[in-house]
Amino acid sequence: MLAIVPYLVQHPGSALDEVATAFGVAPGQLRRDLDLLFMSGLPPYGPGDLIDVDVDEDGHIWISMADHFSRPLQLTRIEALAVYLRGTELLALPGMPDAPALAKALEKLQRSLGADALREAEGRIEIARRGRAPEHLDLLRAAARGHERLSIDYFAASTGEWSHREIDPEEVFSGMGHWYVAAWDVDADAERLFRADRVRSAAPTGETFVPRGLRGAGRDLYSPTGEDVSVRLRLRPAARWIAEYYATTELEERDDGGVEVTLPARQLGWVARLLVRVGDDAEVVEPAELRHEVRRLARETLVGYGHKT
Amino acid sequence: MGEGDRAEPLERLLNLVGLLLETPRPLTFEQIRQVLEPYGQANPDSAKRMFERDKDVLREYGVPLELVDVDVWGTEQGYVIPKEKYYLPEIEFEPGELVALLVAAQSGGQDEAAESGARKLLYGADGGVLAGLGGGPLASGSDARSNLVHAVAEATQALRRISFTYRTSQGKTADRDVDAWAMVFRAGHWYLVGHDRERDDVRAFRLSRIAGEVTDTGEGSAPPTDFRAADHVDAGPWVASGDDRAVILFSPDRAWFAASQFPGATDVGVDGNGRVVMEIPMADEEAFAAMLLEYGPDAIVRSPASLRDTVIARLEALLV
Repeated sequence: MLAIVPYLVQHPGSALDEVATAFGVAPGQLRRDLDLLFMSGLPPYGPGDLIDVDVDEDGHIWISMADHFSRPLQLTRIEALAVYLRGTELLALPGMPDAPALAKALEKLQRSLGADALREAEGRIEIARRGRAPEHLDLLRAAARGHERLSIDYFAASTGEWSHREIDPEEVFSGMGHWYVAAWDVDADAERLFRADRVRSAAPTGETFVPRGLRGAGRDLYSPTGEDVSVRLRLRPAARWIAEYYATTELEERDDGGVEVTLPARQLGWVARLLVRVGDDAEVVEPAELRHEVRRLARETLVGYGHKT
Repeated sequence: MGEGDRAEPLERLLNLVGLLLETPRPLTFEQIRQVLEPYGQANPDSAKRMFERDKDVLREYGVPLELVDVDVWGTEQGYVIPKEKYYLPEIEFEPGELVALLVAAQSGGQDEAAESGARKLLYGADGGVLAGLGGGPLASGSDARSNLVHAVAEATQALRRISFTYRTSQGKTADRDVDAWAMVFRAGHWYLVGHDRERDDVRAFRLSRIAGEVTDTGEGSAPPTDFRAADHVDAGPWVASGDDRAVILFSPDRAWFAASQFPGATDVGVDGNGRVVMEIPMADEEAFAAMLLEYGPDAIVRSPASLRDTVIARLEALLV
């Protein structure tokens, strides 16, 4: 309430629902809290000393006699830091929309709260390397906003194949350093997650769609399907990063500092390529056909270097 | 705000804050009891306990409730909330800047501190700002627990010395004793950069690999003047850069993807077999060879010879 009241004082006639959403409380709770606010005020707490709260029939809020709450409470050190850290996380995203506005806001925040809360965020909280933004990020975002169907050329790393698809993009968000598009795949008639940097071309088809409410940020980046194969790998310490980089369903620590993991995979192709990469730092427990696939891939690659099979 | 019947404490707390903000001089508990009914009604002991609890709740919320001498002789002490410490200083945000901050606070999973902090900044916003908040969160956030991120950030801000249990990417677990200097965000991960006391060297630690909590063990040290935190964060096995240049032939299907994966890659033409010829800067030959191997037959090394030999040797090892 110490944050909401100042907003209400500064914005007479605010809509209750809108305020409740912005401040993360249920509308019913806000209404009850406002009723209590009505009972508070300043000494001697006569009728003329109490805060006057009025919620009209259309749900608009009017407050008076609350001058002492017309400005909010200072941010705590942790709150200021938390906002600053979150802002920095977003600024680190290549292609972050409104990045200049966010950078300015963080700068103002730091300047105003500097002395106590954000002593020396400068040089103390940094972004390492900002990569390149995916080429079609702006177009994908605009399509998601305008509910426009897109036709795209997409590279699926799991199969190593290009495909041409029509998608209804609903949410564009970032996770673990990449931009993703949560979309309805029209041809597959199913929900799919696309990496924005693997979209080679994108163009609106001219059609629009009705959003299905697909989830964006916060979702699992791997959605299991019924056709997944369980791949079980024994990873030596040097290949442990695989367990952190890919979604795993099981993870067991091993005495040598390595792990044994189970990865769900729709296709074995990408796992085989990954195993060619890490060599004897990984061992296939199952399925056996994956072992054959790795050898086949190694042989085929050697042919590219002029070796005879 | 408190337990049990949530209604009553809120009213009491708001009144207490108003009273101590507006009072011209510090008020003793006795004086507060005379003015504020809830403290006056109960018996003195339970009233005092209630007041102590309320004080804790308010302080936790960030209210600067202070106990100071009432007069110059210091015979009596009273409570007051200094206005200059209570109120948020005036910050002039453009509407777009506020929206950006709020979106940031809501992105990246649950972080109560970021959200409540951002809400306090909302009060002076243009009416349109709330309406502009329609979009969902933009990012899934880092893989570290937010309270750990805050604790480490605080330590770097105050240049504290901290200890924690850390698991390396090789899976070894060890206790670390570090002078906290800075935090760096890279590709979805937060890192702590500081002086590792045992190794007597600057090290980077990924926060998601810290097990449990960090312990403050006292005053730390200041980083050297030419210290740049980002220089110490390992680029990871999948990033290539450097002075040496390799020439790689990619199948046309993979070339586009390769160009986006390797920073600094330049397209220098097409060979007789229709493969795309690319020049790519590389630093660590072993790491670079590993990345290329993931392309299988879709990436063939033309030069340097040493890289070519490394790749071939690793492929042959798979067939033994």
